[in-house]
Amino acid sequence: MGDESKNSSEEPSQVNQDELILAQQRQIEKEISESIPLVGEMEPISSLNSEYANDEVYLEKIKDLSSKYKHIRRTRPDGNCFFRAYSYAGLERLLDKKDEFNAFYKQAEESKDALVQLGFQQFTVEDFYDIYMEVLKRVGDLTDVDDAKKTLHFLFNEQGYSDYMVVYLRLLTSGQLQKDQDFYSCFIEGDRTVADFCHQEVEPMYKESDHIHIIAACAALNMGVRVVYMDRGNNKSVTEHDFPEGCTPLVHLLYRPGHYDILYP
Amino acid sequence: MSLENKYNLKSPGVKRLMREARELAEPTEEYFAHPLEDNLFEWHFTVRGPPSTEFEGGFYHGRILLPSQYPMQPPNIILLTPNGRFEVNKKICLSISGHHPESWQPSWSIRTALLALIAFMPTPAAGTIGSLDYTPEERQILAKKSINWECQICGKIAETLSSQSKSSNITQEEASLIQQIALKAEEDANRKEKSADKKEDSDETNVRQRVTINTPSAETINEPITDVIMETEVSINPSTVDQVFNVVVWVIVFVIVLLIGRRFFLLE
Ligand SMILES: [Zn+2]
Repeated sequence: MGDESKNSSEEPSQVNQDELILAQQRQIEKEISESIPLVGEMEPISSLNSEYANDEVYLEKIKDLSSKYKHIRRTRPDGNCFFRAYSYAGLERLLDKKDEFNAFYKQAEESKDALVQLGFQQFTVEDFYDIYMEVLKRVGDLTDVDDAKKTLHFLFNEQGYSDYMVVYLRLLTSGQLQKDQDFYSCFIEGDRTVADFCHQEVEPMYKESDHIHIIAACAALNMGVRVVYMDRGNNKSVTEHDFPEGCTPLVHLLYRPGHYDILYP
Repeated sequence: MSLENKYNLKSPGVKRLMREARELAEPTEEYFAHPLEDNLFEWHFTVRGPPSTEFEGGFYHGRILLPSQYPMQPPNIILLTPNGRFEVNKKICLSISGHHPESWQPSWSIRTALLALIAFMPTPAAGTIGSLDYTPEERQILAKKSINWECQICGKIAETLSSQSKSSNITQEEASLIQQIALKAEEDANRKEKSADKKEDSDETNVRQRVTINTPSAETINEPITDVIMETEVSINPSTVDQVFNVVVWVIVFVIVLLIGRRFFLLE
């Protein structure tokens, strides 16, 4: 059967080249992944200095950053870092505030049906929902806050659980975007619909998060975040942005081009 | 079930595959898939050739290989039954298979992959990896032959599908998703055939293909391919001119060398 001349690939070298580059890219990504924990330990802000030795622009900004924050917790730069950092930091803070945690739990419990109504496959949504709720329950059931935080840290570094948290958060974000698509459609460039955008940029793993992801995620979880931007820009201080605007943020994240880490005041 | 003792049931990936095995336990008219007895991460499947295509009446069997990070990474599909659309014993290139992991979504499932495979069979091969461009007649012959094809593990496969017209309940949402999946790979294939600096065309192609899907008559489906051929012709033209120019230059150089050589020769 295997008649080779029937194979219609006309530009094998071009295709192989693409495949090769992709494979190489994936290998590099994998190596990065294996060297950095999904969610790291708390470190002093000054630990950033070693990343930018002799870089005056950044060193100046780190000084400014350290006047506002004491600690940083690094996350793995795999494209999921916003969702991972945001959900970890949010839950960590909520564990200190039992009432708010319970409200969050209740809201999470009710989140699945809306997703199924939007047309997501019921049994795969349930698959992610079940793990998401299991994590919330396991940390919520522990009366000792330190134990709960240790369990949270443990689960967020178990690839299976951690990635499932990210997927469910991506689904909730996609659901929020599609629910309010009249509002979000004006943020989307080109002629893509909100649903297209969700299928291509929100739901797949490892896709990086933009402003629109953050706005929708904050609306979906009803949990505000302050993002502190640190880049090569000319101003000497870091810039801040709250999502949604005017909120009292529960979570603080540091953004450096392409990556989010968690900040602690 | 022996599988339950063998795997860590706490692992989300294993839980997920167990769930999918339950979900797909009953064969439908269009597809059937089940994990191997001793390996939850390898499944065998059978799909029915889509009606009113050259695959009608055919039964196609294959393997699904699940990566250890499933469902974060896509499944790989390998067809075993000769079909004239995909090479057998080779990981095939749907945009949701392992060759394009960046477009896979963890909320898709083995069922999504099978439905996409069925929807994708009648689409043009367009030079994608693992694709075959057999004629409709050759494919019809293979479809007839496939009824007697046997899997070394599963036996005769034509009988595995449900014969009652029990539909697989494809929701509207799912149907549009499946079409989008199939389209993705087609787009990718087109882009690969074009030269790299043709980016500005891709939006237009997008629209054209979306229009195509709405009116799936044989004629319109062929349209994107014709476009691609034209594109390649256009991009080939300048390089042909270059080649002719090169040849002319070399001929002139050769003649000059010859003349000089002869001159030396004559002088001596
Ligand atoms: Zn088999």
